[in-house]
Amino acid sequence: MARAPDGTSARQFGTLIGLLCLGCVLWILTPHFLTVPNLLNVLEQSAINAIVAAGMTFAIISGGIDLSVGSVLAFSGVVLASALQAGAGVPLAVTLALASAAACGLLNGLVVTRGNLPPFIATLGMMSIARGLALIWAEGRPISGFDETFRLIATARPLGVPAPVLITLLVYGVAHVALAHSVFGRSIYAIGGNEEASRLSGVPVRLHKTGAYVVCSSTSGVAAVVLTARLNSAQPTAGIMYELDAIAATVIGGTSLFGGEGTLVGALIGALIMGVLRNGLNLLNVSSFVQQLVIGVVIIGAVLIDTSLKRRR
Amino acid sequence: MVWRRSARTIRKREASTRSRRFERRLTRRTFFLPVGTVLIAVALGGVHAACNRPATDAGTPGRGRIAFVMKTLNHPFFLDMKRGAEEAANRLGLDLVVQAAERELDVEKQTQIIENLIQTGVKALCVTPSGSKEVVSVLAKATRAGIPIVIADTRVDPDAAAAANVKLGTFVGSDNYEGGRLAGEFLLQSTDGRARVAILEGIPGHETGDSRLRGFRDAVARAPGVTIVASQPANWERDQGFTVFQNMLQAHPDIDALFAANDLMALGAVEAIAATNRTGKVRVIGFDALDDARAAIEAGRMAASVAQSPRDMGRLAVESADRLIRGETVPADQTVPIVLVTKTSTEGR
Amino acid sequence: MRGICKQFPGVVALNDVALELRPGEVHVLLGENGAGKSTLVKILSGAVGKDSGEIRFAGQRVEIRGPDHARQLGISIVYQELTLIPHLSVAENVFLGKAPRRWGLVDWRRMRQDAERLLNGLGQTIDVRRPAGGLGLAQQQMVELARALADQARVLVMDEPTSALTGVEVEQLFAAIARLTARGVAIVYISHRMNEVFRIGYRVTVLRDGRNVATCALADVTAAGLVQLMANRDVSDQYPRRPVVRGGELLRVEGLCRRGILHDISLSLHAGEILGIAGLVGAGRTELARAIMGADPIDAGRITIRGQAARLKTPAAAARHGLAFLPEDRKAHGLVLSLSVQHNIALPNHRRLSRWGLVDGTRERAEAQRMIDQLRIRTPGPDRITRWLSGGNQQKVVLAKWLAGHAGVFIFDEPTRGIDVAARRDIYDLMNALVARGAGVIMVSSDLPEVLGMSDRVLVMRQGRVQGEFDARAASEAEVMRTAFGVAS
Repeated sequence: MARAPDGTSARQFGTLIGLLCLGCVLWILTPHFLTVPNLLNVLEQSAINAIVAAGMTFAIISGGIDLSVGSVLAFSGVVLASALQAGAGVPLAVTLALASAAACGLLNGLVVTRGNLPPFIATLGMMSIARGLALIWAEGRPISGFDETFRLIATARPLGVPAPVLITLLVYGVAHVALAHSVFGRSIYAIGGNEEASRLSGVPVRLHKTGAYVVCSSTSGVAAVVLTARLNSAQPTAGIMYELDAIAATVIGGTSLFGGEGTLVGALIGALIMGVLRNGLNLLNVSSFVQQLVIGVVIIGAVLIDTSLKRRR
Repeated sequence: MVWRRSARTIRKREASTRSRRFERRLTRRTFFLPVGTVLIAVALGGVHAACNRPATDAGTPGRGRIAFVMKTLNHPFFLDMKRGAEEAANRLGLDLVVQAAERELDVEKQTQIIENLIQTGVKALCVTPSGSKEVVSVLAKATRAGIPIVIADTRVDPDAAAAANVKLGTFVGSDNYEGGRLAGEFLLQSTDGRARVAILEGIPGHETGDSRLRGFRDAVARAPGVTIVASQPANWERDQGFTVFQNMLQAHPDIDALFAANDLMALGAVEAIAATNRTGKVRVIGFDALDDARAAIEAGRMAASVAQSPRDMGRLAVESADRLIRGETVPADQTVPIVLVTKTSTEGR
Repeated sequence: MRGICKQFPGVVALNDVALELRPGEVHVLLGENGAGKSTLVKILSGAVGKDSGEIRFAGQRVEIRGPDHARQLGISIVYQELTLIPHLSVAENVFLGKAPRRWGLVDWRRMRQDAERLLNGLGQTIDVRRPAGGLGLAQQQMVELARALADQARVLVMDEPTSALTGVEVEQLFAAIARLTARGVAIVYISHRMNEVFRIGYRVTVLRDGRNVATCALADVTAAGLVQLMANRDVSDQYPRRPVVRGGELLRVEGLCRRGILHDISLSLHAGEILGIAGLVGAGRTELARAIMGADPIDAGRITIRGQAARLKTPAAAARHGLAFLPEDRKAHGLVLSLSVQHNIALPNHRRLSRWGLVDGTRERAEAQRMIDQLRIRTPGPDRITRWLSGGNQQKVVLAKWLAGHAGVFIFDEPTRGIDVAARRDIYDLMNALVARGAGVIMVSSDLPEVLGMSDRVLVMRQGRVQGEFDARAASEAEVMRTAFGVAS
């Protein structure tokens, strides 16, 4: 395996230790935390954010950002649900959902690379467009009620492990190969690190940058499938603020918002930290208002590390 | 200890002492900062939890712990419901946990909260569902865990619940359809059956809002003189109520009555009416009879509001949960009374 | 200024340089690129500190502590790129940071009057209430001069002030300069335009390789004589020679144009040949290199590679055609500093090193190691992040990227800038090795001895055009310089 750049391995180890410490503290504070059902529960709850964060990692490493993931999730969920209700089989409906998500990503990528818009603006636009499409398509109402085969995506427990957890692992496996070992992934790192140098080195910058947004939106599509199966319903209002959760997970995991640096393992640990934090605070009966505060503190802490490291270089 | 070995080899390779020192500092920082941050964060949460505990633990030596998961805790309606629930819990010596997602819409977060609370081994679960169908899958988990369920305010989709084998203990709520009908009747009375009516809807697809609208529409359908000129969602929110109704007034300046599916939207619309100097010319009927709305009715800025005492709902929900824990039978459907608050009715009090 | 020395890491920029300014004179500072002019000016203006030497100002020995201090002393600089704030009015720009005050508030009326008076002194009538951004370049420059006057400047440095001006505007500027000198202001004038130098200069100081070559009255010298002074130098054997085996044509460029920057450029490059491109800063050399590589869009022109017409719209396309480009600014354009040596080397070679879109890690690493050995890159290993390497080794990584592949045409833009002597020699050897194996090299360089020492043929560019072509072995530095300056011998 290609080694991560100097320093990031230490950084990741630190994040992992943070996660473990968090676990220890919760274990002391509440007897309900360290039980197999609860841990599986946390993994399942973290799945959706983790999946979206995997894609977000691509966008951020390429030097961009994708604010549209939550809306794309809602849109592709609605597509999925209407396909299922129209009698399409599960494979076809899932394919349609992923394709519609990927199409949003393609549009994001083209607007960024061909239209030369800042990713922030381009995906901000898409955030509204995809949300609008979802609301129009579903006429503002949730689409719900699917047969058991589809719901297995969320309810199946092969070997006792919730299916969404396995799907997350699959997404991370594929994404890891793509990011660390493929030409595409290497190019994403290079583009995020120095776009002009990459271009002058003959890297097809526009192609790969567009690819990063397609990957990012596609993972939102995967998350939409899991969420729809989990809730047995696709809501056009689903996924609001998910972009921020995903960015937070990515950033807590050590991915630099300046691009060029970051890892998927970090994003996964980041998503787990957020999941464990939410779960633990629920178990401790801390109100959701305080939860928001705590998560904010964690995000700022994580970013402070990144910037203090940057300054030291 | 992969990281440490690699850090050491890097260090060995560095020529100057200065960069060695730098490298060491770098590793130490990278290592401790995230740990520190998380610890601080947890400490914050822990302190909060510790502060919260005694209050709820005090009166509950050994009696059960029950959970009440609301749609949100930043709406007066649900805060009233919480108050009622807490009063009942105190009286019955129950340990009550009240939680809600950050946003009313967020079914997934509500699902997670319920999942987490099931893990803490609560004796009973009261829920005001954020989504009538979406909440079913997590309720199924509660049923499997043998936890009795009380649904408050918003009904669960009966077909979905049956399909998922959810065992519902009871439903506590007010008849929203009846409330909507009451509002419609009031409109007919006070306008002699002639009005151009606008409607502000809640978030589409919610059982509560849909029932209120159905009740209202059914009531006014009987009068040929009443026309509904506009009907749009303002998502239960005050600011959206303002803008949506402002736009409606632009399109239909002759609107002379408004039915809003909750008071927040109605109060937003009242502001929009004031902004166009039409106070008193548009009869505004709201729902929930919030304190603000009662004040507006008193001041003549609103005509009426349907009161569906959330406090009673919260109280009844917790009482029902208590009875379910004891194994008593509870009627499947319990309603709290609905009254129409108008200027005359408030004067009477 | 006397005995000024300044060292930058790896380079001695100034070595015992003296400059003497008399009140009311226009003192021309002359020298080729990198001779040390800008360093000297930066020391004078306090932008950089000196290592040794002394500066006397009006007889007093002074230590210039920074740009503000220099301004307080009365030393002002009018930079090539104008520094006005476009949205503020002319008057505000003139008195930026030192507006006249009354009762703690800005005294607008006095500020306007004073600004008008200063501009009138320069022979200008500009509405001082207009925003500075709306003015033409020449007028903006006048505002800069007025600002210097408002600072009570006694020494004024002008760096290439006429480069963006038209003929009439140049005359206006000269008139303003005449008014300034009449008031006793000493002016340091840096320009590459010989005719101007002789028009307005009193005395001239020539720098070469960071040393004083001569200071004399302009009346006593000719243009050709000055160029000789700038260029004369010992050519040692620091440039390794090699046998010339000229093969078939690799690259042909015909009628290349980029509006306002490159005009009708044609050139050809053969296998086994190093083609040098000389010229002053701003002559369009880097732009030419980038245009060939497809990094910038071109308006017209045809590029033929090995006899085949090629459309190079992106660097990726150029790379596929076997073109390699080593940019001038290796940190900004050559390397991804956040990536390892290995990943940087793999960057242009992904196609070759991958199958089904997946990079073959083993081959990638082997290739990186091979290049590290071949180029003697000093790094702990292929995993080292390039940010931590020295300048010379970074440049070698940039080279390694392209050498690892099968490129046939190498375009080097300032390959040895900021690199120490030993690494320089490595790079020269490498260029020779490249042409020996049948590649062609285009070398853009501001270092004239290097261009002449390494190249077979030299193209001289001036103002976006090819001004002349020389046989590097027969040409003298003076000849090339004259062409670059546009001076007849």
